[in-house]
Amino acid sequence: MYTQESTQATAATLIQAMPSVLDAFPCPICGRVFSSHPLLLRHYASEHPSAIAPVTVTLTLNGRQCEALIEPHWTLQRTLQYRFGLTGTKHMCDKGACGSCTVIMDERAVLACTTLTIECEGKSIQTIEGIAADPKWKPLVDAYCRWDAMQCGYCTPGFLVSAKALLDKNPNPTEQECREALAGNICICGTYPRHATAILEAALQMAKGEQQ
Amino acid sequence: MPDYDGANGLRESFRVVGTPNLPGRLSFALATGVAKFGIDYVLPDMLYAKFLHSPYAHAKILHIDCTKALALPGVVDVLTWEDEDLKALNLAPARGAPRPLFDNIADKEGDEVGAIVVAENEDICEEALRLLEVEWEVKPHIVNLLEGRREDAPVIRPEENLQPSFGGRKYSEDTPPKRGNVYSAYMTSGDIDAGFGEADHIAEYSLYNPAFSSHIPNPSGTVSWWSRDPYQGEGANLHIEGAVRSRERIASLYNMPNEKVIQEGLFMGGKYCDWGLRKSQQITPLLAQRTGRPVRCVNTREEMYDMQMNERYVYMKVGFTNDGIITAVDDFSIADNGVRGSSTFGNVGDLVQGPYNTLSCKNVRQRMEIVDSNRGMMFVSGQHCPFNWDSLTMAIYLIAEKLDIDPTEIARKNLHGPTSKDDRNPVPSFDLCIEAGKKLMGQEWHKSGTKMLPDGRMHGMSFRYQMCPRHSGAIYRCKLEYRDGVVHMPTQGPLFGVYNAECNAMVVAEELGLNYEDVSIDFDYREPFTPMGGGSDGTTASAWAMKECANKLKKMILQAAINNAENPPPASRMGAAPSKAPPGPFKGLQPEDLDMAEGRVFIKAEPDKGVPIEQASEENLFATYIGRPPLSVWSTGSMGQILDVMNTAYCEVAVDTETGEVEILRFSAVADPGLVLRPISLESQIDQVMYFSQGCQMLEDYIYDKRSGVLLNNNMIEYKKPGILDVAPVERQFLETRASNAAYGASGISHSLANTHLVIIAIHNATGVWVDPPATPAKVLKALGKI
Repeated sequence: MYTQESTQATAATLIQAMPSVLDAFPCPICGRVFSSHPLLLRHYASEHPSAIAPVTVTLTLNGRQCEALIEPHWTLQRTLQYRFGLTGTKHMCDKGACGSCTVIMDERAVLACTTLTIECEGKSIQTIEGIAADPKWKPLVDAYCRWDAMQCGYCTPGFLVSAKALLDKNPNPTEQECREALAGNICICGTYPRHATAILEAALQMAKGEQQ
Repeated sequence: MPDYDGANGLRESFRVVGTPNLPGRLSFALATGVAKFGIDYVLPDMLYAKFLHSPYAHAKILHIDCTKALALPGVVDVLTWEDEDLKALNLAPARGAPRPLFDNIADKEGDEVGAIVVAENEDICEEALRLLEVEWEVKPHIVNLLEGRREDAPVIRPEENLQPSFGGRKYSEDTPPKRGNVYSAYMTSGDIDAGFGEADHIAEYSLYNPAFSSHIPNPSGTVSWWSRDPYQGEGANLHIEGAVRSRERIASLYNMPNEKVIQEGLFMGGKYCDWGLRKSQQITPLLAQRTGRPVRCVNTREEMYDMQMNERYVYMKVGFTNDGIITAVDDFSIADNGVRGSSTFGNVGDLVQGPYNTLSCKNVRQRMEIVDSNRGMMFVSGQHCPFNWDSLTMAIYLIAEKLDIDPTEIARKNLHGPTSKDDRNPVPSFDLCIEAGKKLMGQEWHKSGTKMLPDGRMHGMSFRYQMCPRHSGAIYRCKLEYRDGVVHMPTQGPLFGVYNAECNAMVVAEELGLNYEDVSIDFDYREPFTPMGGGSDGTTASAWAMKECANKLKKMILQAAINNAENPPPASRMGAAPSKAPPGPFKGLQPEDLDMAEGRVFIKAEPDKGVPIEQASEENLFATYIGRPPLSVWSTGSMGQILDVMNTAYCEVAVDTETGEVEILRFSAVADPGLVLRPISLESQIDQVMYFSQGCQMLEDYIYDKRSGVLLNNNMIEYKKPGILDVAPVERQFLETRASNAAYGASGISHSLANTHLVIIAIHNATGVWVDPPATPAKVLKALGKI
C-alpha cells in the first residue's frame, strides 16, 4: 500500500502539482474570479472597500518557484495547505510551541505556524514533501519507519524535518545532539526515544552511502 | 486463562510473531507527510464553518440577532439552536440526561453553543461571529469541586437528578440522594468496623489527582460533502473526513444506510480511548447539505482542551496489622462530574474497577461524591489508568514506611491468589514481575529521607503493581482472501496510533507460513473488520479471531491445492492464454497430508515436494470468522477477583532540597503481556503511559480563574506537555507467561502502567514530605518549608 517508493513518488507528484504561475485570481469574499491581480484589486476597491486585499507572493518551494494569492495575515502553514496542497506541514498548536509545522527556510528550521507568508518572499523553503521526494533522504525515512518513530503520526513530519535540518549541519550527531535538535517538537504519543535511534541509524547509512 | 480454545493457541515456535522492527504498513505515509488527516482536506469550492463559543463558564442564550452577521459579504448561512434542521438532528447523548444535540446552554467556557456560521473563509466566519448580537443570561458556575460540594454553593443543575452510573452496578442502600451539586455513590463489602478493630495500625492520607488534558495531536475537525454516484446506488452519499472512528453514528444521525456514508481517510490522529464525536463532526454534514458545497469545520487548539482524566480528591484510611496485612479500607473521594454528558469513567467507573478487588482484605468501603461542575468534558477516558489505583499504591507505601518493609513485600502479602479473594496461593505472573523488577532496579528499599546521593541530592524510589486490564468483549467479523496467490486481510481504518492491523497480519503470516510482508493489509472503510475492539485488548483479541480465520483459510488453500492438482481449471480461450505453472504433486492426497511454511504448500511427509503458495490454486478463496476469544478474567472475574497477567512499575528520583528541582532518574516497568506480538509497539505503549504519568505529576494542570470560571492555560505554551528533553529514561522488561485469553495467551496492556502518584511517592521517599501534583520546584520547596 504505502512504501518508501510510492510515498517518494507521491511527494514528487505533489511538488509538481504546485502552481508556478497564477492564471486565476478568485475573490476570497464573493468568489468572483479575475484574470489578473490588478483586476482583483480594482474589484476590492469597488465592492469590498473596507477589506484588506489579497496579495501575491513568489516562493522557492522545494526547489520550484511558485506563486500564490494569499491574504496578508496568512501564515506559511496555511499557505502551504490551502494554496500548494502540501499538508505534511501540520497545524497543531498554532503558537510555535509544538514543532509540527517545522519547515527549513534558508537552511534553518523554522515554524510555519508563526511565520507570515509575506515574510517568505524570495526565500528558499523545504517542506517534508521536498525531503520525502529526494532519494538522498531515503535512509532517514526508512529508519523512522523501521523504528516506529511514530504512533498516530501527526507530529512525525515535523520531527523528520527537524532531524533533516540537524543532519544538514551535522551529519554525524551524538544522541544528545539529536535530542537537542528535536527539543521543540512535541509528540503526545511518547515516541521520543525512537527518534534519536532512527536519526543515528540514518546518519550511519548515509555516511556509508557517501563512502561507496 | 491460556489460549486453550483457539487454533494453535499453544503454538511453541514463532517465526513472525515477536519479530522486532517490522515497519508499520502506513508508516511511510506518516513519515513523509503524504498521510492526510481530516483537517488536511481542502476541496474546491469549500465553505468554512465556525461555532459560537461561550465566553462564560455557565450561561444561557436568550436571544441571538443574526441580522448583521447575515449581511456580511461572504456569509453563506447562519444557524441558531432554534433552526428546524438542527432540531431534526436527534442523537441521544451517550451519557447524562437527554438534551438536544445543539442548544442554548453553555456548560463551560468555550462551549459550542447557540449559533454556527458558514462563510467563504474562516476569517469571515470569525467576523460574522463577532457581529452576532447575543443576549446572555449568565449563571453561577462551579470550577472548584471543594467549593461546589458545599451546602451553600450555587446549584448549577437543579433540574437534573440522574445518578451517575457505570456498567449498571448497584450502589449500597445507604447511598444518599443528590444534594445541591453533589451525587453520591457508596459501595461497601465486608465489615469495616470489624476490619479496623483487627488492625494494629491505621494510616490516613489525602491524595489529589489533577485533571489533565487528552490533547489529541490533530485539532478535531471535519470536512464533509455530499455526492451522487450511480455505482453507489440511488440517493446521495455523505462523505465525512476527520477524526471519526466509526461511520455508524453519523449514518444513524442522518438516517442514512451505513454504506452510503463514505470515509476514505485512513488517519485519525492519537485518539486513545477518546471516541467522543465532537459537535463539528456531527453537524458539518448538515451544513454541507444546506449549502450544497463541501464544508470544513475545525476547532482551534484552544477550543479542544477536553479532559483525559478528571480532577479527584481522595481521603483514605487503611487498617493493617504488624505484619503489614491490610484489614480494612475506607476510601472517600470527591470527583468531578464535569459538564453534562461527561464520562463516568472519570468518577463512579473507579468504584467498580477499583484495585481493592485484588486484595485478600474483604472489608472495603468506597464512598464517592460526584460534583456537577463547569470545568470540562471527558469524552471517555484517556491513555491513563482510570482505576484509582494510586490510592492503593499510596496505602502500600505508607504501610511499608510505617513497618520498614519493602513495599513489594507488602503488596505480595496482601495480593490474593489467582482464583479468588480466599485463595492464598501466589500469583505466578506477579511473583515473576517482582523478581525481575528487583533485578532491574538493582537496589534495596529505604525509608524516606534516608538516602543521599553523592551529589547531595536526596534519593527516592517507588513501586506499584497492576493487573493487565482487558475489558473488551467485542465481536470481530474477520475475512481473509486468497486471490491471485496472495493473502489479503481487509480491514477498516482509520489509524489512530496503534499498530493493531500489523499485529493481526503477523498472526495471519504465522499461521499460514508466510512472511509478514506477504500478507496484504487492504484498508477499506466498507469492511466490517476492525482490529480496535473497544477495550484495552483490541489488538490481541482481534488477533485471536484473525488466527481462527487464518486457520480456516489454510484448510481452504490446502484443499484448493489438491483440487488444482486433480482437476486443474481449463485454459481460457479468450485472448492470450497466460502461461500456467504446473500444479503441485498433490493428487490423491488429503488436506491433512499437506502443510504451509516459508511461502510454500508442501507434503508433510516429503517437505521437498511442494509449490509456492501463489501456484497452489487459481481459485479465489474467502474465509470468514465471527467471534472473539473467551472472555478475560477481567470481565469474568469482577475486575480483580481473579488474577492472571500482571505488571509492576518503579520510579527513582533525585530531589535537590535547595532548589526544589526533581529529576526522574528512571522509570522501570516489568510487564507480563502474556506474549509479545509486536515488541516495538509494546515498548512504545509503555513509554507513552510513563510520559503521560510524568506530565501529570510534574507539569500539567488545568488552571481556572475562580471568579469567571475561564480556563487560563488552554494552549501549548502555558499548558506544558513533556518534550524530548523532559522525559525520563524508561527501562522495560517483558515476561511471557502465556497466561491470558487472547492470541497465543497474549493480553492487552494498554494504560495499566500509567499512574498519577509514582513520582509523587518517590519524592516523598526522598524527602519525607508530600507534594501535590504537579510537583513543581516551588511546590517542593513549600512542602519542605523553605518558602
